[in-house]
Parts: sequence; C-alpha cells; structure tokens
Amino acid sequence: METRNQILTELQEIAPRLGQEGLSRVPYEVPSGFFTDFPDLLMFRIRLERGGYSENADREILEISPLLSGLRDKTTYQAPAGFFESLHAKIPAAENTEHVVPFFNPASDSKSRRDKKVMSLPMRIIRYAAAACIVGLIGIAIFSITHHRNITDPITGLTGVSDQEMANYLDADDIHWTPGVTSPAETASVAFSDEDIHDLFKGIPDVELEEYIRALPEQKGTVN
Amino acid sequence: MAEQTSDTELLVLFREPATREKAFTEIVKKYQERLYWHIRRMLVDHEDANDTLQNVFIRVWNALAGFREDAQLYTWLYRIATNECLTFLEQKKKKAVVSLNELESGLSNKIKADKDFDANKLEWKLQLAIQQLPEKQRVVFMLRYYDEMPYEEMSVVLETSAGALKASYHHAAKKIEDFILNH
Repeated sequence: METRNQILTELQEIAPRLGQEGLSRVPYEVPSGFFTDFPDLLMFRIRLERGGYSENADREILEISPLLSGLRDKTTYQAPAGFFESLHAKIPAAENTEHVVPFFNPASDSKSRRDKKVMSLPMRIIRYAAAACIVGLIGIAIFSITHHRNITDPITGLTGVSDQEMANYLDADDIHWTPGVTSPAETASVAFSDEDIHDLFKGIPDVELEEYIRALPEQKGTVN
Repeated sequence: MAEQTSDTELLVLFREPATREKAFTEIVKKYQERLYWHIRRMLVDHEDANDTLQNVFIRVWNALAGFREDAQLYTWLYRIATNECLTFLEQKKKKAVVSLNELESGLSNKIKADKDFDANKLEWKLQLAIQQLPEKQRVVFMLRYYDEMPYEEMSVVLETSAGALKASYHHAAKKIEDFILNH
C-alpha cells in the first residue's frame, strides 16, 4: 500500500486544495461500542441464518440472553398446596348449581371437557325466555309489514266498481248522475232556477249587492 | 489467537470446522473498521452502513471457504463491500422510484442533517462534494483518497484498468476542488 505522503503529493499536483493535511478525516460519528459489539452480533446473525436456533427455543434464548434463559423456569406465582389434585373433585358438585366458565385443566388434554359449558336451571329459563321474546318481536314485525301491504289505495279500489253500482250509490245519497256522461261541466246535476237564486239573496239588502257589483267592474250586471 | 495473525493463517484456521468461527471473528475484527468507513462514506447513514457491513460479512462467511487467494483478502473484501454498496444504492433507487440525481441530493441532505454538520468546515464540504460525483468516480476517489489503495489493487476491486482509474481519480479530484472553491 502506498504511503499517505505519496498520495498527498499526487493530489497536490491535481487539486492542491485537497492535499491539505487533516482534510481526509471523515467527520461522521459512530455509536460508541459499535466496533466492539459488531463481531458478536454478526456471529449471532450468521448462526440464526444457518437455522440453528429457531427450532429450539431453549438454545435460542440461551444464545440471546443467558440471564433470561436462567429465569425461564422460575415460577413467580404459587398455587395453593394440593390445588390441582383437589380441582377435579370439585367440578361435578358445581355442575348443577352454577354457571362454570370453561377452564384449562393441565391434568387433562380432553378438548371436549375444556369446551363444555355447564348451566344451572334458572339460567336456562332466562335463556329460553329471551329466545321467546326475540321470536315474538320478529313475528310482530312480520305481521306489521304484511298488514300494511293489504291496505290498498282508495282510488285504485274504485277501478273494480261498475258505473251502474256507482250511480246507485250516489242516488242513495240524492246525488243524480248518469253513467256515460263524463264532461266535468255536466257532472253537477243540481240546477238553479231564478227562484232559487232569488231565495238565496233575499236576506241581503239590494244596496249591499249593488256595492258588491260595483267592486267588480268587469262583471257588471243587474240584480234581479 | 494473536492479533498479528496473517490473513493466510486465518484462512487456514477458517477451513477447519473446529476453529472456523474463531478465525472468522478475527477476520471481522481485523477489517470491520476499514470496511465500515468505506461503506459509510458511500451510504452516509450509519444504519445503512451497519446493515450493509453485516451483509458483506455474511457473504464473506458463505464464500470464504472457496476463496482461492488469487487476490489479497482485503482486496476481495473491498470488492464485496463496494458491490454491496452499489446494490444497496440501486435497490434504494428502485424502491423510491427516484433518479440518480435525486438519490445523490438525498445523500447530500443526509449529510446536512447530521447533528455535527458545519457548512463552513472543509471536511463537510468535501463530503458534499463527493456526493456530487458520478458513482464510479466517487468509489475511485474514496478508495484512493481515504483508503490509500494502489491502482493495481483498485483495478482488482473495480475490474477496471489502472490507467482508467487514474483518469477517473484525476477528474474526481478536480471536480471536488471546484465544488469546494465555489461553495
């Protein structure tokens, strides 16, 4: 390898400014301890990539942290003495009186046993009552929907009634209508005679009627 | 294991399964700093340099048994490190869908974001100037200027003739000086 001086001399010829002593110092920082720890971290990664430790949890944690490996089997919590031995005997007595949440029994690997729910009689009644309520609510909702569908529009309902039937109905109410006559101007069969008009206005003084007619300049006429 | 163990001795020890890990750890200790700084100057960011250095040594671990000693070990290591850096930059460019110029300005921004950055100090200006260089010139300049690598060895690392490398270094030094004088 060439000496630093040779390289600096070469550089003085090309770019004198770069040939200054001390300029070749790289100003970047490296985290403290990086080079001390790097070989161990690298070897650990190489071992991991070889697939040695992932298959064996004991060896893996031993390699990562011997401290944690040593703590692995130390139990922090204590169960009461004889707890697991007496646990089995307690279960049948509790079955018919209270709701028992499924639990994990390390002494038994029976899945069906772990998944089984035991319920007391009052609890069953409450569940059936709740189910009945839900069914009732659904029934009411269905009835309401179907009932509203049967109410038909009144105009639509008249399409099935014949003209003659309609005329008979109106005659019963003293409204005279002849089937087949559809002109709106002639649908009102109540005719007013001069006498009817005279009777209609007889209580109103002539002076008032004349003032009313004057107020309608374009519909001037005479009052009989 | 003595600190002065030669590369040849380390390679012999590496080939023995019983001493393999120990020999490799010695190789890492011997070359880690030089390779780290070579990578760091290329990538600027410490985390990127750390990841890349690990990748370099993993490649070395996998290939060292087949190393034929045609070249010196350190030349071979520099070659792997340089290729790994260029691959890293290429991947970064692809991931970010940015042009080379944008990537270079990104590296310059990283330099400026350094907590110790001082635009008035010549060594920081030099780092910014290096990032303005084309990739090949940058590598050549850094291997020669910082790592003092002879052109003959550099030609093994970069698979380029010594003459072309000299020309590259000349251009790079001129550009850097211009940058420093004008900024």
